[in-house]
Amino acid sequence: MRILKALLWACVALLGAGAFGFLALQRGEHVSAGWLLTAALCTYAIAYRFYSKIIAAKIFALDPARATPAERLSDGRDFVPTNKWIVFGQHFAAIAGPGPLVGPTLAAQFGFLPGFIWIVVGVALGGAVQDCVILCASTRRDGKSLGQMAKEEIGPIAGFTALVATFGIMIILIAVLALIVVNALRSSPWGTVTLGLTIPIAIIMGLWMRYVRPGRVLETTAIGVILLVVSLYAGRWVADSPALAPLFTLSAVQLAVAIVIYGFTASVLPVWLLLAPRGYLSAFVKIGVVVALAGGIFILLPPLQMPATTRFVDGTGPLFAGKVFPFVFITIACGAISGFHALISSGTTPKLIENEKDARFIGYGAMLSESLVATLALIAACILTPGTYFAINAPAGLIGTTVESAAQAINQWGFVVSPTELTALAAKVHEASLLSRTGGAPSLAVGMANIFAKVLGGEGSMALWYHFAIMFEALFILTTLDAGTRVGRFMLQDLGKHIWAPFGRVSWYPAVLMSSALVVGSWGYFLYQGVTDPLGGVNLLWPIFGISNQLLAAIALCVGTTVIIKMGKAKYSFITIIPLTWLAIVTLTAGWQKIFSPDVKLGFLSHATSLAATVAGGALPAGANTAGDAARMIFNDRLDAAVVAVFMISVMVILIDSALLWSRVIRGTVPCVSTEVPFTARAVPAQS
Amino acid sequence: MTTLANPARAPLLERVNAVIRRIIGAPDFSAYLRHQSVRHPNCTPLTEKEFLDEQLTARYSTPGSRCC
Repeated sequence: MRILKALLWACVALLGAGAFGFLALQRGEHVSAGWLLTAALCTYAIAYRFYSKIIAAKIFALDPARATPAERLSDGRDFVPTNKWIVFGQHFAAIAGPGPLVGPTLAAQFGFLPGFIWIVVGVALGGAVQDCVILCASTRRDGKSLGQMAKEEIGPIAGFTALVATFGIMIILIAVLALIVVNALRSSPWGTVTLGLTIPIAIIMGLWMRYVRPGRVLETTAIGVILLVVSLYAGRWVADSPALAPLFTLSAVQLAVAIVIYGFTASVLPVWLLLAPRGYLSAFVKIGVVVALAGGIFILLPPLQMPATTRFVDGTGPLFAGKVFPFVFITIACGAISGFHALISSGTTPKLIENEKDARFIGYGAMLSESLVATLALIAACILTPGTYFAINAPAGLIGTTVESAAQAINQWGFVVSPTELTALAAKVHEASLLSRTGGAPSLAVGMANIFAKVLGGEGSMALWYHFAIMFEALFILTTLDAGTRVGRFMLQDLGKHIWAPFGRVSWYPAVLMSSALVVGSWGYFLYQGVTDPLGGVNLLWPIFGISNQLLAAIALCVGTTVIIKMGKAKYSFITIIPLTWLAIVTLTAGWQKIFSPDVKLGFLSHATSLAATVAGGALPAGANTAGDAARMIFNDRLDAAVVAVFMISVMVILIDSALLWSRVIRGTVPCVSTEVPFTARAVPAQS
Repeated sequence: MTTLANPARAPLLERVNAVIRRIIGAPDFSAYLRHQSVRHPNCTPLTEKEFLDEQLTARYSTPGSRCC
């Protein structure tokens, strides 16, 4: 039996290695998505079976006889012992946001291979390790949050840095996500109407669950899903109506203002009215679409049109500037390693775990599933021809605003695409134009529509599927945006009460309005900056988001390493130190380049200098209509440089703070005491 | 009340319902009632509306229930 098992694992390893080898060595031909999926699934299986075992067995020695917080502190509310499959489902639904869809799509500008390798290797050695270690550590500490653990395990400086980092990443995340929605809906009456209708749909659901059928979540959500389909057709109807279509054909700035107003309103309205029903709807649709996408790709195994690597690995890419190292590791955060997950792994999830042993399956396993979603998104983006992909994703500053200029610019980069092809594709998805829809959502939607239309509905259904995909992505993003704004408001009130006590009163309207306005104003500022950027804004905001998310991951891995060392398991601390070292190298290099690179497309400061030189020469830079605009652009560059600098300094502070503590614990000057809640045997309860 | 006291005996549809609700993150009022009736039989439990308000407010005020 043992020999059989060893043989089986050897086969899995060989198969995975073979698939990787094929991907690395193939030349010219279009590779089937099947090779990527084989390489990914084999790596996941090996990583789960062997690598996660080190965390479960050697480090934490997860013990099924040990009572979990869900059992000891059972309160029927947050602490509820729950079946492992259900916890897996809710953990997966909570961690899988728009990030794993957008990042890989953007990173496809380097070709499919760099992003793919990082997604698969990064998750096995980094992301899944982080999620699992934090989940185990938090489960052993009554479900404490990452911030609390950073404070108690490392020290108050680390705790404060974690808090500020969480707030900072939230602001940048919301800004960049809102920008993606704006670029997807700009001059698209169909998309705008469909997404706009999701707001009244959520409100109807909220009222229904409150007053008509209290507590009937599922039935209400089912009605909501039907209404979503209706809104999809309503959108088409409006887009076809000559009288109504112009009313809903909005410019980027108009959409940005609408989203800011929405974010503010959602943050001050009662949760049951808008946020909660919207969250249910989004989670429902999310799981449905992810399963459908996986099904479609596994059935079709489409050939990838994108080459393994493109010439843009040299740093001249149109979507965002910067070489493949370090920028592929910044662009793809969610899907490979995402610091945000540490908040979930130390939030709702540890309070539900019934049996400690489940933490491996939930922490490590759910992250592997998210990595699979990222792989699927990468595949969906890479089945477009590179010419189409760059036409949709390159900013107007580089390819102009007509199909002719776009085709010409892209042909010069060495990718073949004709103006008629681009016009035909836009017509097929019922849009006036697909050019320069930076942000990744539309190209992913075209890829998804291709897959869905092939499985169900045929060519004629492309427009419906495209708008369904756009609605799904935007719905999903707005859910993160409104919930994030509200959470940001609470965090700000919590921080602000130390300065002025009444500011912290969560049900005092002036404080609520003020803090909401501050949060919305912060991300709205970055959003406006992105929307008015002639290079599309993504070039500007996504790398900052990547750096901030990886910073949070670095904090989480510092907490993890500290916990492991204090348990007296220093010899196994390589498990968190490997990804931590890599992230430190990557974030600091990327941050340094974003600030100081002499390339004006990459470095904020050199860009500011070149703008100032243009102004000094008596001209106005592209995208500026007045001298005031130009001055604002220069200020923004310096502000962005400062934001990145703050993130970099935070990484260094927390690394130094932790490293000092580790050396003290290892040298014995600080006692090596674990802060785990002592062992209590599991009572086998009569019922949960 | 039998279905409340023992979830395993609840009809299939109700169990499926409970699973999906948990996954999409909806608060589980019947689990709360079950918990109260076993652990705190002498206390008056919150009404469904109070319970939902309390749970939703908590969920949307701390990071840790949703991601990027």
